[in-house]
Amino acid sequence: MPTVKGDGMRGLAVFISDIRNCKSKEAEIKRINKELANIRSKFKGDKTLDGYQKKKYVCKLLFIFLLGHDIDFGHMEAVNLLSSNRYTEKQIGYLFISVLIGANNDLMKLVIQAIRNDLAGRNPIHITLALQCVANIGSREMAEGLSVDIPKLLVSGDTIDSVKQSAALTLLRLLRSSPDSIPMGEWMSRIIHLLNDQHMGVVTAAASLIENLVKKNPEEYKGCVSLAVSRLSRIVTSSYTDLQDYTYYFVPAPWLSVKLLRLLQNYPPPEDPAVKTRLSECLETILNKAQEPPKSKKVQHSNAKNAVLFEAINLIIHMDSDPNLLVRACNQLGQFLQHRETNLRYLALESMCLLATSEFSHEAVKKHQETVITALKTERDVSVRQRAVDLLYAMCDRTNAEEIVGEMLEYLESADYSIREEMVLKVAILAEKYAVDYTWYVDVILNLIRIAGDYVSEEVWYRVIQIVINRDDVQGYAAKTVFEALQAPACHENMVKVGGYILGEFGNLIAGDPRSGSAVQFQLLHSKYHLCSPATRGLLLSAYIKFINLFPEIKHIIQDVLRSDNNMRNADVELQQRSIEYLQLSSITTADVLATVLEEMPPFPERESSILAKLKKKKPSSVPEGSEQKETTASKIPAVQMSNNVDIAPPTSINLMSQGESSTDDFVDQGSPQGGSASVDLLGLGSPTQPTAPSVGSGGLLDMFDTLTSHSSAPATNGIDLGGLSGGAEEAFRKFICKNNGVLFENDLLQIGVKSEYREDLGRLWVFYGNKTTFQLNAFLVDVSTPGNLSESLSIQQKPVGGEVEAGAQVKQQFNMACVQEFAEAPVMTIQFLYSGAQQKISLKLPVVLNKYITPAEMDANTFFTRWKALNSPSQECQQIIKATSPIDHEQVKAKASGYCVL
Amino acid sequence: MIKAILVFNNHGKPRLSRFYQYYPEDMQQQIVRETFHLVSKRDDNVCNFLEGGTLIGGSDFKIIYRHYATLYFVFCVDSSESELGILDLIQVFVETLDKCFENVCELDLIFHVDKVHYILAELVMGGMVLETNMTEIITRIEEQNKLEKSEKAKLDGTPVLIQTYETLDLSILNELREKIAKM
Repeated sequence: MPTVKGDGMRGLAVFISDIRNCKSKEAEIKRINKELANIRSKFKGDKTLDGYQKKKYVCKLLFIFLLGHDIDFGHMEAVNLLSSNRYTEKQIGYLFISVLIGANNDLMKLVIQAIRNDLAGRNPIHITLALQCVANIGSREMAEGLSVDIPKLLVSGDTIDSVKQSAALTLLRLLRSSPDSIPMGEWMSRIIHLLNDQHMGVVTAAASLIENLVKKNPEEYKGCVSLAVSRLSRIVTSSYTDLQDYTYYFVPAPWLSVKLLRLLQNYPPPEDPAVKTRLSECLETILNKAQEPPKSKKVQHSNAKNAVLFEAINLIIHMDSDPNLLVRACNQLGQFLQHRETNLRYLALESMCLLATSEFSHEAVKKHQETVITALKTERDVSVRQRAVDLLYAMCDRTNAEEIVGEMLEYLESADYSIREEMVLKVAILAEKYAVDYTWYVDVILNLIRIAGDYVSEEVWYRVIQIVINRDDVQGYAAKTVFEALQAPACHENMVKVGGYILGEFGNLIAGDPRSGSAVQFQLLHSKYHLCSPATRGLLLSAYIKFINLFPEIKHIIQDVLRSDNNMRNADVELQQRSIEYLQLSSITTADVLATVLEEMPPFPERESSILAKLKKKKPSSVPEGSEQKETTASKIPAVQMSNNVDIAPPTSINLMSQGESSTDDFVDQGSPQGGSASVDLLGLGSPTQPTAPSVGSGGLLDMFDTLTSHSSAPATNGIDLGGLSGGAEEAFRKFICKNNGVLFENDLLQIGVKSEYREDLGRLWVFYGNKTTFQLNAFLVDVSTPGNLSESLSIQQKPVGGEVEAGAQVKQQFNMACVQEFAEAPVMTIQFLYSGAQQKISLKLPVVLNKYITPAEMDANTFFTRWKALNSPSQECQQIIKATSPIDHEQVKAKASGYCVL
Repeated sequence: MIKAILVFNNHGKPRLSRFYQYYPEDMQQQIVRETFHLVSKRDDNVCNFLEGGTLIGGSDFKIIYRHYATLYFVFCVDSSESELGILDLIQVFVETLDKCFENVCELDLIFHVDKVHYILAELVMGGMVLETNMTEIITRIEEQNKLEKSEKAKLDGTPVLIQTYETLDLSILNELREKIAKM
């Protein structure tokens, strides 16, 4: 018999002391490995270990695990301990399992069996152990295995309180990890009445469980509102002696109060006037108590009291219906803003953020602006300063935007690195949202780049350019300001990007002043050129070619730069190509063509600020959805509307902005990049690419059809299994090259019609699925895939289609497509559905072909022939004579050509 | 929901780690290290809440901690918990430990890992607050201790039995043991 001193275990104590005495990590690992080997041999040995020994070894393993070593044995021994009759052995077994065994362990079946035995037993202490284990692991297997036992324990009349408490939380855990494995049943209706239970511990646990159920199905548990209110009322109005043990530092049942207040935040204000009054009384009492002198000087007392108070304020904000309470809440938080406890200042800032979004209290919050700004400047704790930034962001509106943005900019200079990026986004958003004077906006963004250039993400500088381009009243000012900013000896690369872009577009607006004449502008930009990354250089090259158009007088200087070895033979393919192409473009084209190609950027389509989208992604919680909505409608911003639909933003304009990175592989292949259209694309001017060869004769056209179809069908059949694709479908697909509407596919079950329309780079296509049978088609699913790298060239957005198609009915599905660059294959649409139980699958090529994106160009005969003659290099001409299979019908050719989009 | 409860000392040595959501072992170690890194560089009189842990949860996640002498008690929670409520819970946990170990110190946590787990199990279950009433918690712990003592007494008692009934044969002794165990 080993000697047991006190309740300790000598072997364990010795081992731990050894570890603690280890001088080095190596020594520690050595000692641990020795011990692991020892335990392993003990477990494997013939001698059966008694409970005490097992317990000792398991404790050792737990300690080793805590130090960060994997334990890959001992599991079986632990499982064996579960079936011991001794409490201590069972206890250590369960502990080992819930700490060390993952949910997917092979032994889980045995564990569940042991748990079930304990649950079925009558010993509450064993039941509690088993429940603890379930709650801590909470695997799906457990949920499935114990889905009946646990709810039964919870609502059964003869379960003792402590077990009920544990059962509630265990059930909660299982509902969380595998909600579908718990059968709903009679227990559900009884569960809300646990809020009336005598035992406060049971009520607390039940409140947690009910809140989770309510989140999924508020209607079902609506009854809990009045129960929770009356329970809360009884706690709040009780004196601290009433609840005895559940009074924590003179505060009656703070945790339960918090839970109940949280639970109520899942519902709108109570409809029943009696309940509503009672709740208002509770909230008022809580607010009143905050003004009473503290009953104890201990921090625990104020913590507990304030935990309840903050939750009450959150509920007031959530209900957002009683202006009186809202203003009181705001005043209370205002007091906390200056409290000496850092925690309270932190929480006050956090809650005030929510309050700022309510229309009743927005003005009241603004009264504290000075305090918040002081907090931003003087708080020692970065967490608190971060909250202050959040609050300033939330309380900002048109009246105080200039001041708040100014303060945030000032703070940015000394802000912690961890919050700079977020601050930059916030400043940029506020400046844009509340700008009355867009010169101010431009100043703010340039300041942002100056102060925190590294943290200014692409979205921010893209956005300033979008706004400058869309607003002509600010363009001159922007050009002047960036020109000045670029004169700083060291300026951030982002500044160079913005500067290059804006001067390239609007440099002419300031060229009148000899101090910022064309050559000066160019020299200034070019002085930064060699310090920049290739992407920025690419952008600058584009700015240079634009300069050639704006300032013909410096054309030769720019051409020299383009011609220099550093550009023309640059190792970077993109730069090399730009230099060569721009040089060619500037030397061979007439001024007219150049002016057309390098025309000023067209305005960007209005859409949600990409910055806002980025902030949302970064911190979903920090952008109050409701307030955005409210603000935009309230403060009608003339130029830059913000809508909330991020998805609809057309991808084209993104390309406009990312010209620095645009891939030009396609043009490299073409060999002679002297045609104007190639450069147009590279510049990303967004003007529709015009066909250089308008209709010349039916022969050429028919030929083009042939090459197009054969080209497009080859990769599709290679890459994708077109099992359901009938010969007729291919035929039908080809018809769509020359027309926009028609039947794409038909069999005994289904007829598929297509209607489409195209404008420039955007296309819309409706597919009509007609059910020809007399049965419903179930699980109707349509999926569109893009073979190969088609997804890079053509972006397809698919509207959802319903799961069923009724007999004889027709459903419509819309596809939006944007052509990004040329493509050869067609997207493949896979339609799957169940027809009287049998799975049907049809694969079809969606009739989206490149020529749909061609836009005819209107021109008179003279212009046409000038252009035609300009195409004089041999590689631009191709002729092929084929034998017509049918006589040439003038009308038919015309119809085809117009369907082909060239007429 | 409480995602994890961690206790480590001023040097970052873990003294207790309890995860209420499954993380692989190496991830658990990383979380402990990251949390220590975040918490240890903060002054003592700044606020007890902190965001910025990247390994658990992301934006919907806060660290709430208290620093007692040589130990940090850290609760990693999501936004459904009240910050001050958790702060009080930490206090309850520490006060309970203090009562159970009579002036708790780091060594107690080291040498009685199992005990600490049992105490915690009475407070928090599956990531939710189970019981906050310290009297109730201590009653339950004492019940456990009593059971443990009685079981040990039975163990310690067996040699006495052997001495007294030296002549008894072993099979009877085993029966006796089983009977005791079942009592």
